[in-house]
Amino acid sequence: MIDFENITYNYSHQSGVYDIDLEIQDNEFCFLVGPTGSGKTTLLKLLYFDLFPHKGKVNILNYSSKNVKKSSIHKIRKKIGVVFQDYKLLKQRTVYENIALPLHINGVGRKKIKQLVREALDLTELSHYSKKFPDELSGGEQQRVCIARAIVKNPDIILADEPTGNLDPTTGHKILKIFEQINKEGTCVVMATHNYKLISDKTYRVIELNEGRIVSG
Amino acid sequence: MIDKLAFLFVEGIKNFTRNKLTNFLCIVTIFINFTILGTFFVLGYNTDNVVNFLRSKYTFEIFLNSETSLDQAVNLKNELSNNSLVTSVDFIGKEESAKIFYDEFGEDIVEVLGYNPLPTSLKVNLEENGFDANQVNTLIEEYKLNALIDEISYQGNYIDDIESRINLFIFAFLVLVLLVIFISIQIIGNTTNLSLSNRKDFIEILRYNGASNLFIKTPFFIETFLQSLIGSLLAFFLVKYGFVVINSYLGVNIEIDYYLWAWMIVLSLIISIYASGRSMKRILV
Repeated sequence: MIDFENITYNYSHQSGVYDIDLEIQDNEFCFLVGPTGSGKTTLLKLLYFDLFPHKGKVNILNYSSKNVKKSSIHKIRKKIGVVFQDYKLLKQRTVYENIALPLHINGVGRKKIKQLVREALDLTELSHYSKKFPDELSGGEQQRVCIARAIVKNPDIILADEPTGNLDPTTGHKILKIFEQINKEGTCVVMATHNYKLISDKTYRVIELNEGRIVSG
Repeated sequence: MIDKLAFLFVEGIKNFTRNKLTNFLCIVTIFINFTILGTFFVLGYNTDNVVNFLRSKYTFEIFLNSETSLDQAVNLKNELSNNSLVTSVDFIGKEESAKIFYDEFGEDIVEVLGYNPLPTSLKVNLEENGFDANQVNTLIEEYKLNALIDEISYQGNYIDDIESRINLFIFAFLVLVLLVIFISIQIIGNTTNLSLSNRKDFIEILRYNGASNLFIKTPFFIETFLQSLIGSLLAFFLVKYGFVVINSYLGVNIEIDYYLWAWMIVLSLIISIYASGRSMKRILV
């Protein structure tokens, strides 16, 4: 499902990732760990084609970074749910509208949208917040909205970039639980984190990065 | 698909109502530019009428001297009627001249002076098809030498002059149209740029969620469509009713093309969609 073939990506003013060879299977749950600046976010960005490798290629969901057309990138992103550390929510839209957005993009009918958003709200325990605006919510609640938005379209892969970075340990565990549940339903989850404590009791695969290179996993 | 279109349409309306200032500026720009364009279009349309009017006046008048007899005048009339440059000749006798004088000035000249000083005249109507000013001038010069003729009044020389000025006006009008279109494209394009940079985060979020460029662009196009529609309709009403007021105030008859509203809307839409499309192309690569 995900295959990095000897990937290198250089930033002009900071370190990137180098010589990455990595395979992640369908339905797998794995953590990308490493200190800040180790290349976790870069790897995730390469996965949803926000960045393109300078060397090597990324294969994901039958698309390759080598020959994917810019006009096709949206098709790949429709199958990937991304959870951002800074949430990236639309502040002028309600929680419901934020979560429904990917479904509108995918052309889902209004009735079906209602049903799917309700399910996502239930799963993320946000049912009572559907009419609120992001600024009226706490950090943990906003992160759950972001997760709900990522999962509502039933993606093949969830990419989560430091989803617990700004949250207290209890909320962090809650969020991790949601991801585990999603993974149980068959979605591949790749979660970047530098919170070793949070994942210490988990048995999932841990891919460790340091200075842009894989050191274990 | 219908739900998606409905969503995009609603998004376009929402954008339109949210970005009041930029939309207001855009509508004002379209309104001003199309008021100028519409005004010149109406003037251009009526210029055509002026030319046609002038062309229908392709005549000259021959005033015969007082010693010319009726037979001589009739002979001259027949001679002129046979000329290929002439379509018809109207004979205007002394009495008819006095009647025309009375109609125009309200005075009976015979009663005032005790005699009729007005000459017998011939109104020569010229062939409009294949009209050649040089040939007509030669004809007139020839007849000026005729001893029976006192004076020939011909305004045809002004027609060429007026037509050349009208052509200059039409050229200036076309230059102005292009200038206004260019200015509109720049202003609408800049407004779209502003609008796009205001919504950079929104666009980014849409992209990360799998929106295609068309999906992102459509609400902007709807917004642009509404701006154009409102701006050009307002301009149309101002031009139309402006000329209605001018007509009644000045007692003139400036005609307004029935399809003025249609071409103003269509042209503004084309300009707006082109301008905003060009801006979006730069940003939404």
